[in-house]
Formats: sequence, structure tokens, C-alpha cells
Amino acid sequence: MFLTRSEYDRGVNTFSPEGRLFQVEYAIEAIKLGSTAIGISTAEGVVLAVEKRITSPLMEPTTIEKIVEVDKHIGCAVSGLIADSRTMVDRARMECQNHWFSFNEKMSVESVAQAVSNLAIQFGDSDDDGGAMSRPFGVAILFAGCDEKGPQLFHMDPSGTFVQFDAKAIGSGSEGAQQSLQEQYHKSMTLKEALTASLTILKQVMEEKLSSTNVEVVTVTPEKFFHMFSKEEVEEVIKDIS
Amino acid sequence: MALIEPFAGHTPMQAQRFSPYSDNGGTIVAIAGEDFAVIGSDTRLTVGYSINTREQSKLFRLSDKTVLASCGCWCDVLTLTRVLNARLQMYNHEHQKEMNTPAVAQLLSTMLYYKRFFPYYVSNLLAGLDAEGKGAVYHYDPVGHYERNQYYAGGSSSALLQPFLDNQVGKKNMNGVVQEPITRERAVAIVKDAFISAAEREIHTGDAIIINIIDKTGVKEERFALRKD
Repeated sequence: MFLTRSEYDRGVNTFSPEGRLFQVEYAIEAIKLGSTAIGISTAEGVVLAVEKRITSPLMEPTTIEKIVEVDKHIGCAVSGLIADSRTMVDRARMECQNHWFSFNEKMSVESVAQAVSNLAIQFGDSDDDGGAMSRPFGVAILFAGCDEKGPQLFHMDPSGTFVQFDAKAIGSGSEGAQQSLQEQYHKSMTLKEALTASLTILKQVMEEKLSSTNVEVVTVTPEKFFHMFSKEEVEEVIKDIS
Repeated sequence: MALIEPFAGHTPMQAQRFSPYSDNGGTIVAIAGEDFAVIGSDTRLTVGYSINTREQSKLFRLSDKTVLASCGCWCDVLTLTRVLNARLQMYNHEHQKEMNTPAVAQLLSTMLYYKRFFPYYVSNLLAGLDAEGKGAVYHYDPVGHYERNQYYAGGSSSALLQPFLDNQVGKKNMNGVVQEPITRERAVAIVKDAFISAAEREIHTGDAIIINIIDKTGVKEERFALRKD
């Protein structure tokens, strides 16, 4: 006896007869409601830029944190259910420190993505203590970092799949932004060009007017590692875009 | 003062204590050069005055640029190196790369410290090339303290050989020495001489030596006979 579709989309442990896991697909839909985040990888370093949605003038914009430091050489930008992302960022940080403790070396960006992916796919695990995760994480993550292979950008979605990108956009404006990235990205891009490109594209897809209070910008370079732009530095970049 | 025997006419009962460790002797030596490292061990395995075997190398090739020398309680050596090899293999699969020598050095330290209160009774020397391709030697105590050195001796003849290396490699306690990088030939010759001298004076060392020379082309092995008595 077949269950109807509306019943197959309940459990995370049940494939539909067409071979789909609806809860995972819905989780991927959930990140399309999130704010836009853009990452561009260049030979000089990686740029991350995200929009912050200021939903009320009484809100304190600096308390919205969508780009965080994982280790000195790795940062990540998130979009979707931010609370879920805290758990994943926690794991990423823990893995980095653990790697440093065991091997006295920096963890590679790919290995961090792999470690977080291992956490992301645990949603189906059952546990007698009731400690299991009941649903997939509703976040997409951009990992930006510089390791022995140079600057790198990885994207991970709620299914735990992670892929390396030269440039990637996630969140509500991701479709338009990804299109613009495809047009503007080239292999010989400088970090400065990537900075202006990311904010120009962000400006196009944002509903509110782009300003130094409603965006967050980070660069990860081999020299300065993780660097969060101050209000003044962001204004400096915004000045260059029309 | 007369002692009162609790059971007159009998020796007092003594509890037989379990002793988990044995000392199987053996000596290990390593010297680091500019772009190479030399590491050697003897091949004798002993228990007290008995010789278990005359042909047991105490060198463990961990990768193309890292070799571990390990001696002390042989069963601990076997277990430690098996676990270490498993950890290296897991690292290869997890990170899709070979572990470099400084990383192996840190891993070995952590592994030893994790048995802080029932330690592996083992002397370790690790030789290889670091990330810049320079020769590196690391030495350990049984609970994971480690240090990078230019040269070191470990095992049953360590107290005999360390002052010899201090003088001949470190150029210590000499007047008017010229400090220059040690050549490969000189390093190998010093390792051989060290073992010959140790075998003359110390019974847990002898039979033969195995020397591994590590450089960017890989690991080369040499064998050299010692006195067998």
C-alpha cells in the first residue's frame, strides 16, 4: 500500500517511491528565504559579503552576525535558520582546534567542510536516549579559507553536500546573484575587484538600500587571514560602486 | 633489637606483584642535516642476559619522508606503532594527503600523553624532513614530552652515546671549532662509530645496525654488522 505524498514528506527516514527525501528538499527551500550571501575566491584571497535584514529601526544591526571566524585562516557565511548555523559553526571550530591539538597544523578548508557535513547528515540517526536530531539543518554555508592549497571557497547545503566554487551566492537573491557572478567572475580577478563585484551584486539583489550598517564584509587572505571589515572600511568599498 | 617473626620457622608470605613492563634493550640514534636525516637502530632484542633475536630492526617507516625509531618494552613498541600506522592511514583518508613530519611528531606526543597514567614504556626518535624540506629529528619521553633536535640518542646506550654526539655532532667542549653543516657521509659514519662503541661496552646493544637515510628522493636503507657477543 502506497502512502500519499503528504505522508512521505513527514519522516526524514523514508524515501518517496520516486526516490526523494522531501524533508531535505524542504530544508533546501528554507534557505531560499534567508538573506543573500556571496563568496568570491581569487588568487589573492576570498571575499565574503552578506546582507543583514534590518526589520525594525529599533533593532541593533551589529548583533546580527552572519559571517563568523572558524579559525584564524577560515571564515564562514551562513544563510537560512541562523540558530541552526550556530551548532554547525560550533562543530567547525571544535574540529579546527582538535586538528591543531592533534597535529599542530592548520586544518584544510575541505576537511572542515567534510567535518561539518558529517554533522549535517546525522538528522536521520535514531538514538535511544532521544538525543537524535529530528530534522535537517535549515542552513546553507559558504566556507572561505586559505590553506596550503591557497585560497578556497566551499558551499554546503542542508543535505550535507559540499562543493568547491570560484564564486557562489546563497539565500533569497541567490538566483540573480549567481547569474551576475557568472558574468563578472574571471580567473585573474584581484581581491579588490572581487570586493567591489560582491557588493555591486549584493546591491542589485537587496530590497533595502545598501549601506555600511546592513552589510557584513570579510576577506580571508594568506597574509592577514580572517579580516572583518570595519564600518569605515565597508564605506570605503561602497564609495567605489555607483 | 630482635625482630619478631609473625610465623616462626617460615618466611613471611609475599604477594606476587604483577609487573606489566619488560626492558628489551636496544639503542636508537638520529642526526638531522640540512636537507636529509639519518636514523639508525641496532637489531638485538634482549631480556636480561638472554638474547631473543639478533635481527629485529627498531625502525618503522611511516611515510616517504618520516621514519620512527622505537625501543624499550617491545610489546609496547609493537602496539604503539600499530596504532600510529592506523592513525596515519585514517589521516590519509580523511584529508587526502600524506601527513608531514611535524604533524606526525605532534600526533605521537598526543598519543603518548593519552596513556599518561599507564604509559607506553618506550623511547622514541622521529626523523624526517619538515615542511621546508629541512632535516628534522624529534625525541620523546615515554609520556609525550617532545623536542626538536639536531641529533639524539635513545634506548639502553643513550647515556653512553649522547655525550659522544654532543662532542662529534654538536661540537661541544672543544676549542676553535668551525660550525658547519654536517655532511651525509659524516652523519652515517658517526652513527656507525657510535653503535660500534656502544656494542663494546653495553650488552643490550649489538649484532647489527640498520640505518635509514631520508631525503627528498625517499628513504635509503643500509645495514652494518656489529659484534655478536
